[in-house]
Amino acid sequence: MNTLLINQSSRLHGLGVTLLLAACVLTSSLLSMEATAAVQKTPLLANGKPDFSGIWQTTSAADYDLEPHSNRKDAPPGAGIVEGNVIPYLPQALEQKKKNFEARATNDPKLKGYTLGVPRGIYYPEPFQIFQRPSDLSIVFQFGHSVRTVHTDGSIHPREDRVEDWWLGDSRGHWEGNTLVVDAKFFNDKTWLDSAGNFHSDQYHVVEYWKFLDPNTIGYKATIEDPQVYSRPWNISVILYRHREKNFQLIEDYRFTLDYDQFYPPKPNK
Amino acid sequence: MKNRMSHQKLGWSALMLGVLSLSSASSVAAEEKQAKPAESKKTTPARAAGGGIEQEKTVPNIESGKWTGPRLADGQPDVSGHWSNTIANHNNFTDPQGGIPNDTGTPNQQQRPLGPRGERAPSRVSDPADGQVPFQPWAIEKVKEFRSGFTNPTKGELVEPLARCAPAGIPKSLYWHGYEIAQFPGYVVFYFNSGTRIIHLDGKPHLPENIKLWNGDSRGHWEGNTLVVDVTNQNGKALFGRTGEFISENGHIQEKYIFQKGGTRFNYVAVLTDPTVYTRPFTVTVPARKWTAKDKTNGWHFEVEPSNYPANYTGKRGGLDNFERICTENNNGFGLGAAEKPQQ
Repeated sequence: MNTLLINQSSRLHGLGVTLLLAACVLTSSLLSMEATAAVQKTPLLANGKPDFSGIWQTTSAADYDLEPHSNRKDAPPGAGIVEGNVIPYLPQALEQKKKNFEARATNDPKLKGYTLGVPRGIYYPEPFQIFQRPSDLSIVFQFGHSVRTVHTDGSIHPREDRVEDWWLGDSRGHWEGNTLVVDAKFFNDKTWLDSAGNFHSDQYHVVEYWKFLDPNTIGYKATIEDPQVYSRPWNISVILYRHREKNFQLIEDYRFTLDYDQFYPPKPNK
Repeated sequence: MKNRMSHQKLGWSALMLGVLSLSSASSVAAEEKQAKPAESKKTTPARAAGGGIEQEKTVPNIESGKWTGPRLADGQPDVSGHWSNTIANHNNFTDPQGGIPNDTGTPNQQQRPLGPRGERAPSRVSDPADGQVPFQPWAIEKVKEFRSGFTNPTKGELVEPLARCAPAGIPKSLYWHGYEIAQFPGYVVFYFNSGTRIIHLDGKPHLPENIKLWNGDSRGHWEGNTLVVDVTNQNGKALFGRTGEFISENGHIQEKYIFQKGGTRFNYVAVLTDPTVYTRPFTVTVPARKWTAKDKTNGWHFEVEPSNYPANYTGKRGGLDNFERICTENNNGFGLGAAEKPQQ
């Protein structure tokens, strides 16, 4: 009887292990299927193009300094996001960059609340929201609540006689497979690339590459050129993460109004 | 280096022309040239004499009801496109075509000779019937103070904040240049000339009360042809016009955007409540019309250009460029007393 019991128990035990194993296999295969499905489920617009709609932000320290840097009083350390580590300045421009760096506590345009520019708004440590339609993407930056529109309707840059120097340039995008390629030019020379004084002239030209790494992560790369400032084109890359916190939203940050905020609204006389 | 005037600057200049010499024939001509009104439509109410920015002098009646027009994939009535108010700019809130009151003391001393009040567009205050904001006595004094100092401000609070490039806020954004309405699943977005408003349609709760914003925090939903929006979290800093009317950080605005059948017009009807500034809630009405690629571009209402397409392009060519809506570049001593640094 004991033997029987033991046998039965052992058989039951064996069955249990088998079931458990089966369950594990099933679960893990389900999990991996889910993972595969997630990887494949890039958000798409109705026209089949990747849909970057959402609120995004980098975790990198790029805005403190695009180049590798040790910690300093006004910046955490960072490995930089420049391919090859060094921005290839022309000699005279490098002198200007050094001057900018020394004066960064007062001259960084972001401190005045000025529009951050391209691509600084992308890796500035505040969220931005993409609103996307087949014809365009509009990027609303929390900082300054400025709007940058990337046209994806097949249109090209405006004719030269219509061109002006814009804070955010003129952006025209097209699709290369699942990558959104954006050509941005016609900038003014008033924005910096970071808080370390990296700068450009109005001959500045940026080509961006936006691609999903997974449904909640964008790999962002940009090629930057400016014959007046750099000796050759150079590249940067950052990763952008989707904000998924419950009820997350942009909160307008019209920084440039802070100097005169005190005057409004009218208050009763005391 | 190219350093041409931006669109924004053109807008300011056109406006300054209008402001600086409202009565002179040359300014009217200049305004006409820069902001020629588009073709009138059958439904167009009585035309205003001023031309340019002032296109009409009556408000059409648009009832809330069913939406029978096109819808977007997510079910929203499709009202996306370019829009602008039909009456006037922000010179005067309650007498929109009456010009800036007390307009003396600067080069623009000449007053436009005004005819009887009834010949101009009605007050934007549609309730109470007298067309005036039901201010508490202390608030009326503040408005008077602002008006008397407007053309020669001697204190920071006498500078119209929009002249410092501050967001136009609510409701002024609705009558400050043309703007674009864009719609996305869960959102209606207003790209204003000065500031951006994101209306959330997903029913999430408002931001915590102590966060105060120029354009407030907006939650909306559609009821037939009407976009209903609840606005809280305002900082109360954006005045309603050059006449100094205001709301405070305690204010609450309930908006209705009532779209006409056919989708070419809407009336903005908002109830403003603020127990610290007003004696009772009141209603603001601002009529708007749509501008499309068929209209001529216009230096104030419809500041776009047809997009440029490659010669061999075979797709649809309806794109419109609205190059940049950035005012910070003007933040350097714009007229009417505004300075980059506030006056102490």
